[in-house]
Amino acid sequence: MSWRFPKLIPRSAPVILLLLTLAAATGFAAVSHLVARYNANQQSRGRKLYQQGLADASANRYDDAINVFRAALTCDPTNSQYQLSLARALRDSNDPRRLDEAESYLIALWQRAPQDAAVSLALARVAAHRGSIDDAIRYYHNAMYGVWNSDPDANRSKARIELIQFLLKKGAPDKAESELMALATALPPTPDAHLQAAQLFAQARDYARELAQYEEVLRFDPANAAALAGAGQATYRASNYTSARRYLQDAVNANPQDEESRQFLATTELILRNDPFAGHISDAERNRRIAVAFTQAEKRLDACAQEKNIDLKATVTPAEASGPALATGSAPSPLLALQSLWTEAKPDLARLRLPAETDLPDAIMDVVFQIEQQTAATCGQPQGLDRALLLISQKHEAANQ
Amino acid sequence: MSNGAPAPSAVVARFQGPRRLFSSLEGVFNEEVFFLILCVFIGIFSGLAVVCFRLAIDWIHLALLGPLPQTHSWRLFAVPALAGLVVAALVIHVFPTIRGSGVNQTKAALYIFNGFIPFRTAVGKFICSGLAIGSGQSLGPEDPSLQIGASIASALGRQLEISRDKLRLMAPVGAAAGLAAAFNAPISAVLFVIEEVIGRWSAGILGSVVLSAVSSVVIVRWFLGSEPLFRIPVTAFKRPSELLAYAVLGIVGGLASVAFAQSIGYLRPRLKALPRWTQYFQPAVAGLLIGLIAFLGAPQVMGAGYDSMDQAMHGQYAWKILAILAVLKIVATTLSFVSGAPGGMFAPTLFIGAMLGGAVGDIERIFFPQLTGSTGTYVLVGMGVLFAGFLRVPMTSVFMVLEVSGNYEIIVPVIVANTFSYLISRGLLDVPIFDMLTRQDGLVLPSLEEDREETILRVEDAMLPVPATILSAEDYVDANERRVQDSTDAIFLVRMHPSGWSTISRDQLQRLFREGKGEHTLGSVLPQQSLPSLYPDLPLDSALRYVNDYPLVPVANRANSRELEGIVTRDSVFKRYEIDRTPVGN
Repeated sequence: MSWRFPKLIPRSAPVILLLLTLAAATGFAAVSHLVARYNANQQSRGRKLYQQGLADASANRYDDAINVFRAALTCDPTNSQYQLSLARALRDSNDPRRLDEAESYLIALWQRAPQDAAVSLALARVAAHRGSIDDAIRYYHNAMYGVWNSDPDANRSKARIELIQFLLKKGAPDKAESELMALATALPPTPDAHLQAAQLFAQARDYARELAQYEEVLRFDPANAAALAGAGQATYRASNYTSARRYLQDAVNANPQDEESRQFLATTELILRNDPFAGHISDAERNRRIAVAFTQAEKRLDACAQEKNIDLKATVTPAEASGPALATGSAPSPLLALQSLWTEAKPDLARLRLPAETDLPDAIMDVVFQIEQQTAATCGQPQGLDRALLLISQKHEAANQ
Repeated sequence: MSNGAPAPSAVVARFQGPRRLFSSLEGVFNEEVFFLILCVFIGIFSGLAVVCFRLAIDWIHLALLGPLPQTHSWRLFAVPALAGLVVAALVIHVFPTIRGSGVNQTKAALYIFNGFIPFRTAVGKFICSGLAIGSGQSLGPEDPSLQIGASIASALGRQLEISRDKLRLMAPVGAAAGLAAAFNAPISAVLFVIEEVIGRWSAGILGSVVLSAVSSVVIVRWFLGSEPLFRIPVTAFKRPSELLAYAVLGIVGGLASVAFAQSIGYLRPRLKALPRWTQYFQPAVAGLLIGLIAFLGAPQVMGAGYDSMDQAMHGQYAWKILAILAVLKIVATTLSFVSGAPGGMFAPTLFIGAMLGGAVGDIERIFFPQLTGSTGTYVLVGMGVLFAGFLRVPMTSVFMVLEVSGNYEIIVPVIVANTFSYLISRGLLDVPIFDMLTRQDGLVLPSLEEDREETILRVEDAMLPVPATILSAEDYVDANERRVQDSTDAIFLVRMHPSGWSTISRDQLQRLFREGKGEHTLGSVLPQQSLPSLYPDLPLDSALRYVNDYPLVPVANRANSRELEGIVTRDSVFKRYEIDRTPVGN
């Protein structure tokens, strides 16, 4: 076999260069054609693999999806959609080792198209997986202000809600609340959006804004049972029991199967009926409520002591009862000290009717509140009247502060 | 003419126009300019060939092994074994010159064959390496690309009948183009060719090699995009104390390099010595064993392995997996290479380094959690470590990591680790891998590492002390004659005015005195031609030019040429060479 080429090229340098240029151009054209055909085949193969990967990912078979997306990327290495899907699969596979690779893909995509909101959102979710608050906020903001291919308002809103949920989960309510306020100003006028915002405000313990969101829903749809129940609970948590009763009653009327609202309503009724510090009641009614609370506190104390096998007949000196032992909960049992306080305060009940004893209602109720708070800490959250008294104590303390 | 046809003179002028243009252009293209332009074309042709070569490997891989990674499939060992049979038959019967990586063949073309590499080599390398790598042999496409480039360049040079001197350079120029296109890294390719193949720097060589490398990279990026071989993760070097960790990586990498090179050096001649008929089956057996490794759970060892390196860089493997992959890749590459399957060792070297780097980094972080380097950083440094230790190209290894990563923050760890690896490899293994392979093939090529490391004798090594008596050309002859009476020397150095040196013998001086020239200054009676002078740092070879013609040659200080550092004589120079030749201990 002969591999020698005939010596065809003339010895003139310009002619040689001309011929070389022609040869290079021909080679370039041939390779262009070859590469184009190869790329077309590869892209077609890549598309099939991509669809397979999407199916695997949607069935939570992330390992398979990762393999298939990788193969798709070998067919079409620069395809942003494949890279984004692979990064998502790597992120969602719950393998912390894969977060680095996911981030690497996403950073590369982000550098190519920093305005791409979908990439920013994926990066934000990686940062959220890592628990990195600052990075998450940065990337979620990029996603909110980036370019969405479809339905930008809804996607932006979703991104902000996701950020808020992340911040609340990570115990950063202040940062969450500022995002919430921004969210509230740009909510679409739909009940679902306002209801979701209200729930987020509730998680951030901003009950006033929570109520405002429910009221916004009720403005359009006064019979919306979810909004009524939510408004009732928001006012209940804000210790605004009069309003809470009204909303909760409406909620129960609108949806008689709403047991949760019914329970809230029952507790609310108990609070309104037994709050001795309510402004509109007579002295006699106040004294009656104090007496009922005082008796209930003893029952609660006895029940809790029995539950914890504590003998309340053991003696505790008044000094111990009012001293640091009670405050710190160290031995002897705080319940014994409370029993002592209750016994000590019992004679005062009779003096409630005397006009000179203006501080006495507060003093007696202070004993009641101490018993309810301590028994709640020792024996768990109470029900019924005890729960009402505990909530009255919290409202009273908040009012005093 | 009445029919409107041009007059004969006008036709002649029309034909003569381009001819005149060409002949006027002839003057522009002297040989140097023409050669540099030719280098650009070599880069273009090599780039086009490498693009096709990469497509061919991908296409063969897809066709034979499928697009998805296979595990526990019969294809894993059947495909490389059957492809091995085909490759062996082609290598034995059609392309006997394509065994091995191609680097040595390019060197041989430069030093032995006057730049001749048959074009058949390019064709054979393209087909057989494509088939071997695409079917899963543990080899890389870089060295074959290098040889394809060199072969194309050599064929072009021969076709154009350029001068022998330039033709010799064509092979390295094409090699740089092929390697740059394969690595998508022009600086590393240029350095490798200069460091390993050519071994010397000059503006002409550097210019031609750079031109070809850059033009080939432009072509590859045009067609295949400018995506780097790896997606580089965030890498950083924060605390200088962490250099210790990288030094440990360098030591481990150096030892692994030695083990890798020794295993190839031990097995290759033994397999070559087996009966000829076994050579038909050696690549197939190697393919079968590699397929078995893949079948048993490590398919990453097949082929070049860039995807796996990418995943290692992003912390996808635990340290145990990384360590196992490094060991298995050494085994697999050794099997592939010694079996005679054509393919390169660059990619496997990077793979082993990457896995080893990741494993060492992860282990170090278990014991020292305060280390800040990511797995990706250690993987990158590890690549350079194996490059420095196995291929013994210290400069290329540093620049390769920097060029591939595009991150100069890790330059210090890379230099430290590579230095350790290189020193350990050089300490434990006398001969670098490429030289070892050359000697096994019965060729004697200049070892560029030996050249680099060779101790050069300098003028200062043969220098005698400054003579006690130095005469002055400004003094009278009788004063100088009195001065030499206290000396036993026969020849005296004369300091000329305003600069320069000369010599005069005792007899000459006394004769001048007797001739009554005692009242003349010495300078006025001496010939005006002054002695050549040397400098202490010059190679001793440069003294050989003068010591036969002059009884002594002054050695001057470079900062002040009137200040004498010493002298050299014929005897002192020859004695120094004799000492250097005498074996130590005699």
